[in-house]
Amino acid sequence: MTETPSNPSSLTALLGTPVTDAGGRMRGRLKDVAVATGADAGQVAGLILKTADGARLAEVRNILQTPSGALEIRDVSGLRSLKGDENFLLLQQDIVDRQIVDVHGRKVVRANDVNLQWFSHDAIQSLRVTGVEVGLSGAMRRIFKGLLPRPSLESFSANFATRVIPWELVDVIEVDPARRVKLKIEHANIAQMHPSDIADILADLAPAERAAVFTTLDEELAAEALEEVDPKLQKSLIESLDSGHVADIVEEMDPGAAADLLGELPDARSEAILKEMEPEERQEVSELLEFPENSAAGRMTTDYVAVHADESVSGAVKALKAFDGDPESVTEVYLVDEKDVLKGVVPLARLVMAQPETRLAVLTDPRFISCPADEKQDDVAELFDKYNLRALPVVDSAQRLVGIIQADHVIAFLRQGR
Amino acid sequence: MNLLRRWKVSLLLFFAVLGPGFITANVDNDAGGILTYSQAGAQFGYTLLWTMIPITLALIVVQEMCARMGVVTGKGLSDLIREEFGLRITFITMLLLVIVNFGNVVAEFSGIAGSLQLFHVSKYISVPVCALLVWLLVVKGDYKSTEKIFLIASVVYISYILAGVLSGPSWHEALISTVKMPPKSVWKERTYVYLVIGVIGTTITPWMQFYLQSSIVEKGISVKDYAACRLDVIVGSLFTDIVAWFIVVACAATLYAHGLGAIDVPSDAAEAMKPLAGPYAFLLFAFGLFNASLFAASILPLSTAYTVCEGLGLESGVDKSFDEAPVFYWLYTLLIAGGAAVVLVPNFPMVKFVILSQVLNGILLPVVIILMLILINRKDLMGEHVNSRWFNAVAWLTAIIVIGLSVAMLFTTAGT
Repeated sequence: MTETPSNPSSLTALLGTPVTDAGGRMRGRLKDVAVATGADAGQVAGLILKTADGARLAEVRNILQTPSGALEIRDVSGLRSLKGDENFLLLQQDIVDRQIVDVHGRKVVRANDVNLQWFSHDAIQSLRVTGVEVGLSGAMRRIFKGLLPRPSLESFSANFATRVIPWELVDVIEVDPARRVKLKIEHANIAQMHPSDIADILADLAPAERAAVFTTLDEELAAEALEEVDPKLQKSLIESLDSGHVADIVEEMDPGAAADLLGELPDARSEAILKEMEPEERQEVSELLEFPENSAAGRMTTDYVAVHADESVSGAVKALKAFDGDPESVTEVYLVDEKDVLKGVVPLARLVMAQPETRLAVLTDPRFISCPADEKQDDVAELFDKYNLRALPVVDSAQRLVGIIQADHVIAFLRQGR
Repeated sequence: MNLLRRWKVSLLLFFAVLGPGFITANVDNDAGGILTYSQAGAQFGYTLLWTMIPITLALIVVQEMCARMGVVTGKGLSDLIREEFGLRITFITMLLLVIVNFGNVVAEFSGIAGSLQLFHVSKYISVPVCALLVWLLVVKGDYKSTEKIFLIASVVYISYILAGVLSGPSWHEALISTVKMPPKSVWKERTYVYLVIGVIGTTITPWMQFYLQSSIVEKGISVKDYAACRLDVIVGSLFTDIVAWFIVVACAATLYAHGLGAIDVPSDAAEAMKPLAGPYAFLLFAFGLFNASLFAASILPLSTAYTVCEGLGLESGVDKSFDEAPVFYWLYTLLIAGGAAVVLVPNFPMVKFVILSQVLNGILLPVVIILMLILINRKDLMGEHVNSRWFNAVAWLTAIIVIGLSVAMLFTTAGT
């Protein structure tokens, strides 16, 4: 079947269009446009008409666009009344004036208008959503609709900048969970984004929409995004979730970040979350929670790679492979003795260049830097600056390695303090 | 050292309790407010004081509605108007808001010019310098910490209470006039109706509602903490109106009592108090006016730019660059530059214009209140937090009375 695109249109131009039957009798006016989701995303399923007997749904193939732009119903018996549980998005009700996510531009925008395109296959027509207009041109079209005659409205609004987001790059937000499931809104597009961009989007949304997007993220992604949002927002995001779900997310977080988050919550709530966590993660996080927030220990994470000081390079590589934290965060390997006392630091680059059998003790810098657990965070920042560090091991009073601070943590708390 | 620390701790506690409600209330007593209240006292003595109690009640109700909508929906007022009323109504509301707020910005710069004239600084120096300062503050500076400085400086509002006391008013007469309606004959006078609208418009300004609701959303106050937030709004509203009452009384006791009548330039109000109420009353009045004007001048254009851009879905925010958010920055810049330029016109009738701007506030007010009333009574938006019957009654009554007054003013204009 050949499908040829005919004239483009917009929701604003279509709404209110009179609809007649084949005999030319007026049947109603166009009130809204119903669009399919899921596999047929973007395909217009039907037109909602406002008739004398209430709202009616007409399938698109039952509609004919006449050359004058008016709409004609082929078969009036095909009109259905609306039950309210249909599986489609309504453009006017759900999209226009609402916040949507522009996946490509990575931001939250407000929809001014929706662009549509007619296609004709032989004698039958179909209608498809091509994109969402968020520019001034769409805004002007809506503000002055009905005040200017249609041709001058089009030429007037064409003077303003158009900005169209293609439909496949738009994520629609539905706050009602039941409808979200029915419409198959899974935010697959958002899930492809960088966690930091997701964090920005969450910050730009209103609370209900924010919760709607956040709950659709899988635990790992939710954890990564949660690490990137500011503490106030973290609290409001997890406020509506039950402790078990939060525990699953917190387990996926970096222990340092998880401790910071739980530290911000009321005691009863953080206890409840800890109780739901796996024993190993729980122990790590609750130990970190003991430290004051502004000290080196309060800022550190317990995700690091440590090997015995007698090991060789191949032993370090084995330890790296077994590391269950985020491998990209590793910049150096720490050497410890039987009592966990810090004996040396080997940067990854030196490991890569050394022979597998080389002993690690040879590779360590004899003047490696570490800091005590109760060091103030400002002094930690100073150490990073002075010694050009990427990571800094934190030791207790007996010189035992208890955690590390990474450069990105330092940047984060320095910016926070501004 | 110890004393200093203790003082610091109690100051921090003080500010922890104060929130958006109190800040908004303080900005509310801006140049427009001070000069309108002064004019009310100077021209009509104590006969406008009766408006204070009903206005305070209306202010509390309207502000509380905004705060509640902000807390429950987590959205700003312009966002809600956009989502529930569509683009066209939003556009018209924003257009009116820009026009009315521009008048307010002019009023703030008039306040700056007028207060610094008292210290013999020409407006041709003070206004451009302050305009530049305000502009730089937001574009290059740190707005949040400046807000705190202004807030501390607004302790000078207490100076109006002092100025009122120093002016030696007839307390008995002032208190009686606060609870008693004036004789019917006052309503025949057009300027009286005009000033009543001005006083309402300056106390319950349309832009405050947008500003308060966004501040509450930005602060992320949850429904759980709403009780504290409501207290903050009520305390703020009461504080605003107590200050307003004393300004009216101070001017009534001096300017009106000595038959000086209406004021023409802002400095009249302060200057006239010098011989009548002593040199300190004059200084307090002048410094208070300057701080209030500068504070509001730095908040109003910014708040307007935010409100408009959010409602129309345009990029906004001081963390964006000029290229990313052109409309936001242009609107902000033009409001300041335009507002300052108007004041620089030679022989610009400052007080007359200031009061006109507050009357325009009053005319726009019912539009905003009615939109708010429709929103806040929607169950799907507010759930169990929809308005109670009493709140609806007070808010509707406020809107209807202001509309009635505006119509009455038009008729008396036509009559004269």
